[in-house]
Amino acid sequence: MAEKFDHLEEHLEKFVENIRQLGIIVSDFQPSSQAGLNQKLNFIVTGLQDIDKCRQQLHDITVPLEVFEYIDQGRNPQLYTKECLERALAKNEQVKGKIDTMKKFKSLLIQELSKVFPEDMAKYRSIRGEDHPPS
Amino acid sequence: MENFTALFGAQADPPPPPAALGFGPGKPPPPPPPPPGGGPGPAPPPTAASAPPGSDKSAAGCGPFYLMRELPGSTELTGSTNLITHYNLEHAYNKFCGKKVKEKLSNFLPDLPGMIDLPGSHDNSSLRSLIEKPPILGGSFNPITGTMLAGFRLHTGPLPEQCRLMHIQPPKKKNKQKHKQSRTQDPVPPETPSDSDHKKKKKKKEEDPERKRKKKEKKKKKNRHSPEHPGMGSSQASSSSSLR
Repeated sequence: MAEKFDHLEEHLEKFVENIRQLGIIVSDFQPSSQAGLNQKLNFIVTGLQDIDKCRQQLHDITVPLEVFEYIDQGRNPQLYTKECLERALAKNEQVKGKIDTMKKFKSLLIQELSKVFPEDMAKYRSIRGEDHPPS
Repeated sequence: MENFTALFGAQADPPPPPAALGFGPGKPPPPPPPPPGGGPGPAPPPTAASAPPGSDKSAAGCGPFYLMRELPGSTELTGSTNLITHYNLEHAYNKFCGKKVKEKLSNFLPDLPGMIDLPGSHDNSSLRSLIEKPPILGGSFNPITGTMLAGFRLHTGPLPEQCRLMHIQPPKKKNKQKHKQSRTQDPVPPETPSDSDHKKKKKKKEEDPERKRKKKEKKKKKNRHSPEHPGMGSSQASSSSSLR
């Protein structure tokens, strides 16, 4: 899995570097640099071909749209990962709290019902396979 | 009304009495009034034991209880377990949430040339626009041949200032050491009375007394040799320090 990304990253870095060099050539163009410019233009074409080839290996990768928003706003996309993890943990804790509370409620309800309906609750426990009332 | 009865006429059997669904067997219905002739009464009303079987299938296997379901298995993954540890994401959590993640995109891609911290909507370079207005695809990338390259003959000379986007880099934070160096290079003389408060703070930070002495001696020597020293009054120094 990581090899695919390394491959793409390598090609993207090369492509960005070529674009940067092209920018330098163009920013102060001299007649003697025409051959270099032509070469760089073809490097960019081959770079795009290489990146396009990587597409086949990465068709099963999905990217959340929110990440694009972070990048478009000039924000670090790792902040998205951070917020996702924090949200997941907070939600996990909330649900755990609910489950624990419901468990406590169930044991208390069974305890109180056993006082009022001892026979019925004995049947209930036998159905559920609980011999002893939960504390 | 006819339509209504036509719609609901097929419902021949009345719904079961609520007592059949209740927690217990429920009270038996009251006996019908005796016939006026005083003859033998009808058969005794059916008790709970003689109730027609199968009136409620869920209650059949659960004794007096109804709406009973299978309890969820203990092996089922729920929110009661720490899902981050379950999926081995502690490392990722500590990495991203343990320390402060820098806000800007240039901190994530420090080697990318150009000003990348600006919103993409400014220069029409947003990734969102790639989805909303996808580029026309279909053709393959072909190398540029000799005749096509003729279109890339450029004018000589530098680009105008407004077009030089490649050279603009986001400002990078200076190291703390650099700050210290720049402070020491300030032309303010070190031993002036008005600067004493500032010096006291510095003295507190410095721990080694021997180093302090050596530094003082060096500074004194420098001041003696410097041509500005005799002419520099305390008033100037105080004004410069008050600006801080």
